[in-house]
Amino acid sequence: MDLNFGKAINTLGPSLLGGVGIVLYITLSGFFCALAAALIIAIGRLSKNKVLSRTLSVLIELIRGTPLLVQLFYIYYVIPTLLNGILSMAGYETNIQLKASTCGIIGFAVNYGCYMSEVIRSAILAVDSGQREAGLALGFSEAKVMLHFIIPPALRNSVPVFGNYLVMLIKDTSLLAMISVQELLLRTKTYASQTFLTVEAYTLLAVVYLLLSIPLSQMTGILERRLKRMP
Amino acid sequence: MLQIKNLSKCFEDLEVLKDVNLSVEKGEVVVIIGPSGSGKSTLLRCVNLLEIPTGGEILYQGEDITHLGKKVTDYRKQVGMVFQRFNLFPLKNALENVMYAPMKLNKVPVKDAKEQAMDLLKKVGLENRAHAYPSALSGGQQQRVAIARALAMKPEILLFDEPTSALDPELVGDVLEVMKQLAKEGMTMIVVTHEMGFAKDVADRVIFMDGGFVIEEGAPQDIFKSPKNERTRTFLSRVL
Repeated sequence: MDLNFGKAINTLGPSLLGGVGIVLYITLSGFFCALAAALIIAIGRLSKNKVLSRTLSVLIELIRGTPLLVQLFYIYYVIPTLLNGILSMAGYETNIQLKASTCGIIGFAVNYGCYMSEVIRSAILAVDSGQREAGLALGFSEAKVMLHFIIPPALRNSVPVFGNYLVMLIKDTSLLAMISVQELLLRTKTYASQTFLTVEAYTLLAVVYLLLSIPLSQMTGILERRLKRMP
Repeated sequence: MLQIKNLSKCFEDLEVLKDVNLSVEKGEVVVIIGPSGSGKSTLLRCVNLLEIPTGGEILYQGEDITHLGKKVTDYRKQVGMVFQRFNLFPLKNALENVMYAPMKLNKVPVKDAKEQAMDLLKKVGLENRAHAYPSALSGGQQQRVAIARALAMKPEILLFDEPTSALDPELVGDVLEVMKQLAKEGMTMIVVTHEMGFAKDVADRVIFMDGGFVIEEGAPQDIFKSPKNERTRTFLSRVL
């Protein structure tokens, strides 16, 4: 068997580098949207409004009970079709299409947002109730107590778990190949089918993912140890 | 200044306070004693509405505070509270713990808040620990920071919920010293405690509670030397 890694690196390499930019863009945007969604969902789940908290727990069950890939398909293919259908019934002919990368970001925001909201929710519940009482006794309102004294330590305690989710998210961007985002997997697949350098191409792809995820999980570890040392 | 009338509090089926009547004058130090589960802490927590009373009323400067709605925060600013377990904010150092509420709630400029907080820390003997985080402070030091934090909002009344019960015996003295000093300066205080010595020395009035009722109240010398009620006698004979 002849292997030609040199050729693969020279020809597939630059294309993968381009893909890394897209992967990082989607990962970071998706992650921060997910973080914001998670915080909102967690607070909503803890609210005294039963309708709101029940609705959100149904949403979480739906998201956790279906594969991410199916959700991405749903956002990319089903939702625009539904929207166009509904609007055409209302008399508007539209051709709404979502950019594949935008669908990716939305999908990650919703999916990871749901998972991460459970992390934040349990971190909020783990904050000592004395903190809440101390804040209230000083004259802070319930909402301000949440903002000033409960959410900051809860988020801080969630950082290590968030780090793990971030690493998972980077790898999950490979799913976006299925909805035609020009990320790493799709570029490699195209290259391999054109050149028949299957072994070289996919090995190189795996290495690139490792180069992305290992430093990130190391950084998470360092951050975790730093936070432990802080008060 | 504070009148509690026919106050009751139930937790589901458990009636913790039954028809409590009590009044506190400005500048008075009222010490509440009694066995565990007698409702002392619940009474104190009702006064700043950390617990919502089931029945009765609490008049603060003539106004019933049990139905304040959103204005409850304004009322709580005037009523400081010191907890058994200190409840300092762990991510803030001593100085920040003290200056945070005036800054955020009363919009006191940072510089002034800092100055005031340093003065308060000096008052409780901790100016040299201003930049220490709660985790690096002893229980007694944490409790003194907590007192300074409550004072920072310039409250009219200070509530103490067993402030020394979570402390090692040798650390109790420093905290009681600060409380005595406050009493001397004329601060209105309601103190739930098991420190009978403090009650004897500092209280203007001692309240004995048992089973959700105020059983007996009076000047410390009367309560401790010649208690009228049998339950007070039994309790005191066990703790003194």
